[in-house]
Amino acid sequence: MKNISFYIFLLMLTLMSCNDNSNVPNQTPTTNNDNWLIPVNEVKDGGPGKDGIPSIDNPKFIDISQTNPAFLNDSDLVIGTVNGSEAKAYPHVILDWHEVVNDKINEDFITINYCPLTGTAFGWESKANGTKSSFGVSGLLYNTNLILYDRNTDSNWSQLRLQCVNGTLISNKPILVSVVETNWGTWKKLYPNTKVLSTDTGFNRTYGNYPYGDYRTNQNFFLFTAIPSNDALPNKDRIYAILDGDKSKVYQFSDFENGKVFIDEFNKKKYLIVGNENLINAFELSDELLDLDFEYGFNNSEVFFKDNEGNKWSIFGKAIDGPRKNEVIKVSRSVVSYWFAIAAFYPNPEIYQ
Amino acid sequence: MIQKMSFFTLLIFNTSVIYTQTCCSGGIPLSNNLGLSTLEKGSTQIGIQYDYNNLNTLNSGSETLNDDSRLRITHSILLNAGYSITNSLSIEVLFTWVNQRRNITQFGNENLDETSGIGDAILLLKYNFENVLGENSALNIGVGTKIPLGSSTETNDQGITLNADLQPGSNAWDVIYWSMISKSFDFRPSFTISSRFIYRNTGTNTSYFGDSTYKFGNEFQTYLHFSDQFLLFKTITSPSLSLKYRSASQDKIGGFNLDNTGGKWFSIIPNFSIDINSDIVFSAKAEIPIYSFVDGTQLTPTYRLTTGFLIKIPRKTNKLIIN
Repeated sequence: MKNISFYIFLLMLTLMSCNDNSNVPNQTPTTNNDNWLIPVNEVKDGGPGKDGIPSIDNPKFIDISQTNPAFLNDSDLVIGTVNGSEAKAYPHVILDWHEVVNDKINEDFITINYCPLTGTAFGWESKANGTKSSFGVSGLLYNTNLILYDRNTDSNWSQLRLQCVNGTLISNKPILVSVVETNWGTWKKLYPNTKVLSTDTGFNRTYGNYPYGDYRTNQNFFLFTAIPSNDALPNKDRIYAILDGDKSKVYQFSDFENGKVFIDEFNKKKYLIVGNENLINAFELSDELLDLDFEYGFNNSEVFFKDNEGNKWSIFGKAIDGPRKNEVIKVSRSVVSYWFAIAAFYPNPEIYQ
Repeated sequence: MIQKMSFFTLLIFNTSVIYTQTCCSGGIPLSNNLGLSTLEKGSTQIGIQYDYNNLNTLNSGSETLNDDSRLRITHSILLNAGYSITNSLSIEVLFTWVNQRRNITQFGNENLDETSGIGDAILLLKYNFENVLGENSALNIGVGTKIPLGSSTETNDQGITLNADLQPGSNAWDVIYWSMISKSFDFRPSFTISSRFIYRNTGTNTSYFGDSTYKFGNEFQTYLHFSDQFLLFKTITSPSLSLKYRSASQDKIGGFNLDNTGGKWFSIIPNFSIDINSDIVFSAKAEIPIYSFVDGTQLTPTYRLTTGFLIKIPRKTNKLIIN
């Protein structure tokens, strides 16, 4: 019996010593800076944990002039950007599972980041404190919006606030890269030679299966709360918002049916607003450009609007033909978002009527 | 009669494994040791178990994805005590202490979040109907509640409250319905077949993150259990095998179904126990998943190990009760 007891206790000790910390790399040093620009009690643990939603750090692309990306439908939303002659699209169906893509386009390192819960996407330079850095998903949320972290300093960056909110780089702001959000069908008409992010991401995920159920359309379904709320529009209405300081002006896609171009004033600045039911962008107009008459000109090519001087402009505000060829109009700070998110981050936004 | 009771004690101890594991949680085995037998009036039983639950399998539906970067581990220590109020009616309590870990190993780094502390408790009242299916059979029915003793507001080292999945407690009262039926046979009295059903009707944490609600999915579990006894080195040993089916509804957050929670799981549980002496039983078991179908994409159990002791403290007056 003594022998049996000995073996029993040996077994117990073996089980008790199950150590899940073995054979794993060193732990990432946590940010020991307790100072936050945002109320820490409103920062939520999203569930998957830091890097539990893995960024794509070695993205591969499909050249659609050679291969049709079968996983994409024309109605699927993509984030698009252009640098020089290179156009790239980052589909939501992939971003839903990764949220961050650290990429290089024409020798420039950029980080595309997308929050599925607020429907917001930005592109910014892959830099932290002026030094090249990749970004990852912190696993934290503020106002149910993505908080990224930079891998140089482990500082936390609030996506929709466009600011580092915790860590050694607190208060720093990212340098934005111009991106637009539209559907795949529109994007490939604008840029038929575009490349599109491949599902060959290095991760095994069910791309195309939206991971949040009816979140996109259920107006009252939230995984985390965002405050303040604002019932001026349905919570999940997808809108275009110009951001200026802590203010915002919102435009609804339904106001742009069949294409529309107009000048609008917001926060004492003049903006040129161009768009259709699938795509909107806005530009800060200098005094020199205020005298031009702009008109909608999208005809299934890169040209999106025109002016009375004979210039033809892209959706990124670059003159691609005409006397001002290669001139660029300053793109506004803006984002496509669910209404509730803009209302939470930029309270009492104006709504274009 | 005492031998018979002892046999049922052992049987129940071996088989009453209720893994009330939340869908995407590391799985605090809240009711792991529930279901102590109803012994002679005035008898007391105390069980202590250690449970190690490893979730390192990422599933989409029934498909296992090639990704082991996410690891959830729960270490639990479970202390339960049962007291026989009458020869048929007994009461049982279960207390837990848990350590939950969420490890992400990605991009050459490891990120760990963990919480530790007292978990929720369970109080169960049971009634034993003897021989309802003929000689050497038993039907046990119980009803109980999960008492939210554990903290549901634990934070990480930055003071950020962790989500429900990592909390030691749920801040919700559950109702638990429990039953077990067993039968042994004349051709081999030590061989027993039993089955167990558990339904947990979960309550709602009405202050999740301070301003929301969270409800773990209702859960149903059933077991089919085969056990026998042998003498090994002059010691009674009881190998057994259980087949387990578990079904959990989706969790609800803010009143809405939460995707990537809930599912169906089948597993097999080999178990081995030894009577150290007439009053102490040692057991060890492993739970090995054989099939799972989860909602959406979620971590699902890879394996679970449980071991512990059951100590029986007979009534002081060694009176034999015959039903």
